[in-house]
Amino acid sequence: MIAGWETLPSALAAHLAISAAALALALLVATPLVLLMPGRPWLRRTVMGLASVVQTVPALALLALFFPLLVLLRNLTGLPVPSLGLLPSLLALALYALLPLLRGGAGGLAAVPDSVRDAARAIGMSASQRLFHVELSLAAPVVMGGVRTAAVWTIGAATLATMVGQESLGDLIFAGLQLQDWQQVLLGCVAAAALALIVDGALGWCQRGIAERRWAPAAKGLVLLVLLAAGVTGWWLQSRPATQVRPVLIGTKTFSEQYILAELIAADLRAAGQPTGVRSGLGSGIAFQSLAAGGIDISIDYTGTLWTQALGRSDVVPRADMLRILTEQLKSRYGVTVAARLGFENAYALAMRRADAERLGVRSISDLARVSAKLKLATDLEFLSRAEWTAMRSSYGLEFASMRAFTPVLMVAALKDGAADVITAYSSDGALAGADIVLLTDDRGALPAYDALLLVAPGRDDLARRLARYDGRISVDAMRIANWQADRPTNKRSPAEAARWLATETGLQR
Amino acid sequence: MASAPTAASVPPPELALALSGVTLALGGRPVLAGIDLVVRQGQFVALVGASGAGKSSLLRLINRMLEPDAGTVAVHGADVAGLDAMQLRRGIGYAVQGGGLFPHWTVADNIAAVPWLLGWPKPKRMERAAELMAMLELPPHLAQRFPGELSGGQASRVGLARALAVSPRLLLLDEPFGALDPETRDELGDRLLALHRAQGLTTIMVTHDLADALLRADLMVVLDGGRVVACGPPADVAADPHPAVQNLVATPLAQARALAGMAR
Repeated sequence: MIAGWETLPSALAAHLAISAAALALALLVATPLVLLMPGRPWLRRTVMGLASVVQTVPALALLALFFPLLVLLRNLTGLPVPSLGLLPSLLALALYALLPLLRGGAGGLAAVPDSVRDAARAIGMSASQRLFHVELSLAAPVVMGGVRTAAVWTIGAATLATMVGQESLGDLIFAGLQLQDWQQVLLGCVAAAALALIVDGALGWCQRGIAERRWAPAAKGLVLLVLLAAGVTGWWLQSRPATQVRPVLIGTKTFSEQYILAELIAADLRAAGQPTGVRSGLGSGIAFQSLAAGGIDISIDYTGTLWTQALGRSDVVPRADMLRILTEQLKSRYGVTVAARLGFENAYALAMRRADAERLGVRSISDLARVSAKLKLATDLEFLSRAEWTAMRSSYGLEFASMRAFTPVLMVAALKDGAADVITAYSSDGALAGADIVLLTDDRGALPAYDALLLVAPGRDDLARRLARYDGRISVDAMRIANWQADRPTNKRSPAEAARWLATETGLQR
Repeated sequence: MASAPTAASVPPPELALALSGVTLALGGRPVLAGIDLVVRQGQFVALVGASGAGKSSLLRLINRMLEPDAGTVAVHGADVAGLDAMQLRRGIGYAVQGGGLFPHWTVADNIAAVPWLLGWPKPKRMERAAELMAMLELPPHLAQRFPGELSGGQASRVGLARALAVSPRLLLLDEPFGALDPETRDELGDRLLALHRAQGLTTIMVTHDLADALLRADLMVVLDGGRVVACGPPADVAADPHPAVQNLVATPLAQARALAGMAR
């Protein structure tokens, strides 16, 4: 069976629901605006201008922007506004769907001939009769065209809602992308495309029915939409575990180690009879915010990351002090409990091809600084905007010939094929098990420690107690091998399989 | 010019239409300036004048598509300002160039639009539509067609049928045959005049076709620069020395004389 198949019904149902809700919200906003537009050219210009500007913002950025916006709103109003998951996805997707709806609506109404409007008034139709029986009826095919475009866009963009913690078909795509499990990526993409095609086809029938003033195609379209919703809901309900209790949710960031550890803990909890789910593919900062807000119950994070992102500090302190301060302050500031220090570190590091390192005599980052101006750096998507990079650059005086951001899974490939000479890497990265890549030591101690921690949401001390036994149980070697099992190009294992290996290897499960 | 009632007096009910001191400006531009006009029941009135003279605006004041800035408009003795605009419009037939038909309604539904607004049951509406189609010589198989499938002449007939659907006493026509070929126009003009007489209608028709106006109207009203410059039986108006009138009638009269010469 294709990986991700068992999560497909739930992702599909969530995807359809969020898309439909966003489209409904957009319709709710667009309809009065469109109806107010005739005779108000200033309104038309303003609204269409704003909608066009929104459209130029990439969908992913739009989704991401709602997170700080909602956090700000929560801080200003003191209301419990959720900044992750459903609300930001709904708002961003609805905003994105506005432009085609407004274009269709305004364009359709503007195309109604003046002579027809005039005649409707002259024979004594009321304003509402003119609107519904003449203007909207005539505009309907164009309006429906706008609805179709908006529906297809929304279903496509909803895959990105995964990044702000909303379940969608994007879960499969992003998890698959990270694990280089192309079947899973394809499954997510095909499901999203099929959904878009079916909805577009159904709305197309509705549009034809309206345009030709025949009931049959419109009814066919509506029936297809109802069947789709019923089918997806039915599949989801049937595939759902019988229990109605909200499962414990483990959140993961977008890399294999997180998926593996989440599966490890999930299997452990399930074995103890606790229903457990995994919310995969959260952005790095979003995973912690989501945990603090109780959107997820367990996450795996790293001391250095928390130090800068959660506590906002940039100083470097000894490892033991950092852990102690984090444990205290995460609790007092966020209510988050550090349940266990897993025992390995996933530090930011720089890596080079072994041959280059030997030829150039580079062992440490200090050595690298001497020759870096001739070398090309490839980083993950966030490194260059992180405090670690600022600290590393100022401490060592690093300058590179060029710096480019890559999707993490492609960085080792970039190093191997010469697209980059130096890459950012993580000390527990499985690919580093290969013999031809070396990690450079942080000889000046510029970077904070990145000890892996198990974090538990506020009010879940029961979970913290159950997870305490993980403390110090996972070595960096074991983690690296488990990561390699999931990341290697051939004979790849699923995160769940790698987690089983890790459980046995570390003696956590038998 | 027919004598105008003073603003304070109530026009007698046998007057189909009485305008008194009507002034109108649109978008700051004066369109009509002090119009006085009386139309008796049963009269066929041709409203003529150069483009922009205010003919269509005058027509639209009658069914309150426009509201005058000053003066009164009375239909069948009642000041329209005191009537419900929608009820008033439903009771007055109105047709425009090209028919102004609803492209998404069938011919029958277009014709029965006002009965539909008045809540007639469907069978009665369809029966009435069929009756009017016969009256305007439209073949019955067109009933379920859409306006896009009609010829210009057919569309004009449907527009006229729609205007007549609830047997109004007053008919307002804004260049109803404007875009038609001369032969169709003449044929429809005759048909309209016959209907007008048979049903005892009062008809106010804006037209650019001076021959039509001169030959068929009982009363010819010439507008120029928002004022009535001539008003009376066509033969009298044609002889009016006012330059605006002579500008209008000179060409058609000369053509008529030339044609009469050829015919002899």
